Amino acid sequence: MKLKSLIRHETFLAVLLVVVLIVLSFQSDRFFTIDNLLNQGRLMTEIGLIAIAMTFVIATGGIDLSVGSILGLTAILTGVFWQNVGLPLPVAATAAIAAGTFAGFVNGVIITRFRVPPLIATLATLALYRGLAEGISQARSVRGYPEWFYVLGQKDVLGVPTQLWILLFAAVVASVILAYTTWGRTVYAVGSNEVASRFSGLSVEKTKLALYTASGFAAAVAAVIFVSRVSTTRSDMGTGIELDAITAVVLGGTSIFGGRGTIIGTIIGLCLIQALKNGLSLAGIKGDGTIMLIGAVLILAILASNLFERSGTRT
Amino acid sequence: MRNVVLSALLALSFSTSLSNAQSVWTGGDDLPTNPLACDATPATAAAKPYDGGQPTNAPDRKGKTIKVVDVPKLVGIGYFNATSKGIADAAKEMGSMDAKTDGPSKANIDDQITLIDNYITSGVDGILFAANDPVAIAPVLKKALGAGINVVGYDANSSPDARQWFVNQAEFNGIAKAMVDSMAAEIGDEGAFAIVTSTFTTPNQARWIAEMAAYQTKCHPKMKWLETVEAQEDNILSFNQSNTLINKYGDELKGIFGMTSVATPAAADAVTQAKKCGSVAVVGLATPNAMKPYVGAGCVKSVVLWNPVDLGYAAAYVLRAVADGTLAPGATSVKAGKLGDLSVINGSEILLGAPTVFNKDNIGNFDF
Amino acid sequence: MTTTVEATARSRTAPQRPGFFKRLFAEYGQEIVVLAAIVMLFAIVTMVNPRFISANNLTTIFSGNAYIAVAAIGMAMVIVTGNIDVSVGALIGVLATISGSLAVAGYPIWFAWLAPVVVGMAVNAIIGILVAYARIPSIVVTLGALSILRGGLISVTGGTWITDLPPDYLIAQKQIFGLPVPLVFMVVLTLLAAFWMRYTAFGRSLYAIGGNAEAALATGIPIARRTVAVFVIHGAFAGLATILFATQLQVIQSTVPPNLELTVITAAVIGGVSILGGSGTVIGSTLATILFATIGSALIFVNVSAYWLRAVIGLLILATVLADMLRRRGRGA
Repeated sequence: MKLKSLIRHETFLAVLLVVVLIVLSFQSDRFFTIDNLLNQGRLMTEIGLIAIAMTFVIATGGIDLSVGSILGLTAILTGVFWQNVGLPLPVAATAAIAAGTFAGFVNGVIITRFRVPPLIATLATLALYRGLAEGISQARSVRGYPEWFYVLGQKDVLGVPTQLWILLFAAVVASVILAYTTWGRTVYAVGSNEVASRFSGLSVEKTKLALYTASGFAAAVAAVIFVSRVSTTRSDMGTGIELDAITAVVLGGTSIFGGRGTIIGTIIGLCLIQALKNGLSLAGIKGDGTIMLIGAVLILAILASNLFERSGTRT
Repeated sequence: MRNVVLSALLALSFSTSLSNAQSVWTGGDDLPTNPLACDATPATAAAKPYDGGQPTNAPDRKGKTIKVVDVPKLVGIGYFNATSKGIADAAKEMGSMDAKTDGPSKANIDDQITLIDNYITSGVDGILFAANDPVAIAPVLKKALGAGINVVGYDANSSPDARQWFVNQAEFNGIAKAMVDSMAAEIGDEGAFAIVTSTFTTPNQARWIAEMAAYQTKCHPKMKWLETVEAQEDNILSFNQSNTLINKYGDELKGIFGMTSVATPAAADAVTQAKKCGSVAVVGLATPNAMKPYVGAGCVKSVVLWNPVDLGYAAAYVLRAVADGTLAPGATSVKAGKLGDLSVINGSEILLGAPTVFNKDNIGNFDF
Repeated sequence: MTTTVEATARSRTAPQRPGFFKRLFAEYGQEIVVLAAIVMLFAIVTMVNPRFISANNLTTIFSGNAYIAVAAIGMAMVIVTGNIDVSVGALIGVLATISGSLAVAGYPIWFAWLAPVVVGMAVNAIIGILVAYARIPSIVVTLGALSILRGGLISVTGGTWITDLPPDYLIAQKQIFGLPVPLVFMVVLTLLAAFWMRYTAFGRSLYAIGGNAEAALATGIPIARRTVAVFVIHGAFAGLATILFATQLQVIQSTVPPNLELTVITAAVIGGVSILGGSGTVIGSTLATILFATIGSALIFVNVSAYWLRAVIGLLILATVLADMLRRRGRGA
């Protein structure tokens, strides 16, 4: 039953996405073009990477609100390691990603070792990491990266935006892990019933620690891509991105209480939001109207899928 | 816990000593400054060749009705409402411009970039922008130029090669001089003051603070800068921060600079509610409507600002002139409707004029 | 530093006097940790700069942030039932605009004050119904509501500020019995809510819903209706918070205050409201608001480099959280 209802939500969402795509292409003939769609892929990569990791975290019944701040911190460190410390850029970026991953690891330690609920732990580190980004940067931006660095964020590989390849790769790997490995099943088990999982000998703590570390890693990779896309670093980068990522994940059918959710659902959720943002803008609707509509779609989509699910249970 | 708090306090004292070691004011940027002369001698700017960008394969738009989008830093604040009104006024007056304003709901670089990107795809003829970050916005603006779109900035610049022209409301050093001179006139040449700004990463504010520091060192060396606090674009936080400054320094604090149109009225309110009118001066950038109660009550003597309606108006005319080809690289002035001829400075910038200082006598004449 | 030592000494002697203190500590542990942090900060900063405890600065700390504390009361109740609301910041922005517009348009002052409370209750009734009867998780409903309210505010007002507010409307700038109105609001509402949650059957049932919904259902608590009721009450508190927020200055900025929802949620959870539901008090959420305000003011007073300010705030929040966890673990051992 569970699997069935799961498929139902994603199918419903996919149908909704197709309908939205069709409607929007009638609104503007510039919407459904290869160029525009690929470009939208470029714009949604950072949120996408974070949302994929967030899917795992939320599937265990947790949450990570500090991702936006980790993004900001990693961005700042990339610039500082490169310009102020004088490391070669690839080394600097790798070191910054390592630092961002470590920030995620710290979240995991606070959550698993000190047993602080994830929401509180990551609320606290949200403030801390953003503060570190601001303090380390002293509000200075680092600019003027070498031309090759922009390949990551502004150029194409084989006709497709570079970062979109990374997003696709991450999505495939994450789907396989979540759907087909023991580890993926552990994630669901922890989310459905943490106590039972612990009694049945699953390594709950290790799993969670790995997930929050992975979430930090995803945010850190997103940060380097973001820096490359906008060619500068600022300490306020990524502010508020956590809510956007969570919106995509829950729209994609992942239960906020844990125990269910799929990567494909998250990806469809992401595409739906991005398509609405872009398509409505092309159709001449202003930004404030668009965010209202996205809010309504979020509530209605979950409502509709709840109704389907309940009618399904009855028959 | 105690250990954590203690180490935090240690870290505090450490960072304090660090910040004391710096001679520049907190909140300024590290670009070179160019303070004006202490008297009214105008600056003699060296002529600079055109350094803006050019659209590729722009169609001939001369005389045709053009579709223009205006993307301010954010929508929902009085200042950008005023620039948007100016653009709409100019568009109506010209009759050959179809302009609309659409901006992010937060001053967020990513949202702004995405919006501009969407408008490039939708095929506008011209883009007017006020950048949240000069460098971050550059790639998407270059993309616009590459798509043959005319790009003109106002209020907050981008890297010069990412746009064709920038309408400069007032030069940074001009604003800095007006602000510091107004403050000195109110609190004397030896008074101490503090600054309430939005965030240290906001480029315009950081630039002004750096120029103010340079000008104060040069022309009012005995004035004392106490500190700069951040207050986002949040008026209650600005109010609380101003109060904290007043409480902290007591009688030592003689003046507060408000660096944004949000911070200045909030600082004025803090001074009013602390019953410090007359003993703590507030000088700042602000829109007249928000400042009328305080200026009317005599609590604030002068407010520095260009007219943002004129700024938007001029930006729209500049864009029209660029689209028509009447404003080309090398030009020395441009006609901007009722504002007359505006001159070109710094290669590819158009100067709106000297900042206006609003006071009790003239503030009633402005409505924005 | 002496105060710190004294505080430690006191907490060491506590176990030797079981009964009242032990009970107090067991029940209000987190509140005591937060209160201790506030007291410690006051002691340390006052030594650096005595102006820190001047009447003016106390007013700034306590009443300048009272609207956050009032909003956090409702948030704490919502969180106790195992729900959450990320739309409260946007709601307060919308309500402030409604209230201010009515005041400027010449409606009676009491009406301009009442309107945000009523509208807040109405909006949250819808949210509550979606959560309780349509079974949509509260974070989903309120994420949606956040977008709708924020977008709606901008499209309706276009961002025009509200000025020329009638002087009688500005209640947050007035005083009752020599005390600033926001402070009185904060204290009275916190105490009322705390008593209500502790001593009434309705109030206690909220903990039951958040702690174990099935058991609560079995004991005959109408969970769905109570959930809607809690959201409506939360809406009323958001409305009351709006009155303070909108009347603090002579202008109302008709935008959503940045990150207000995060501040309010942080206050509630740092104050000891369990995010899993079932425990915590509104006294804790109010104390946590005061703690944040104190930290913000203290760091300016002790001349922390403005660039490091937020990092230190984050560190102090984390320290408070970890201290509480260590305390709980110590109790468990």
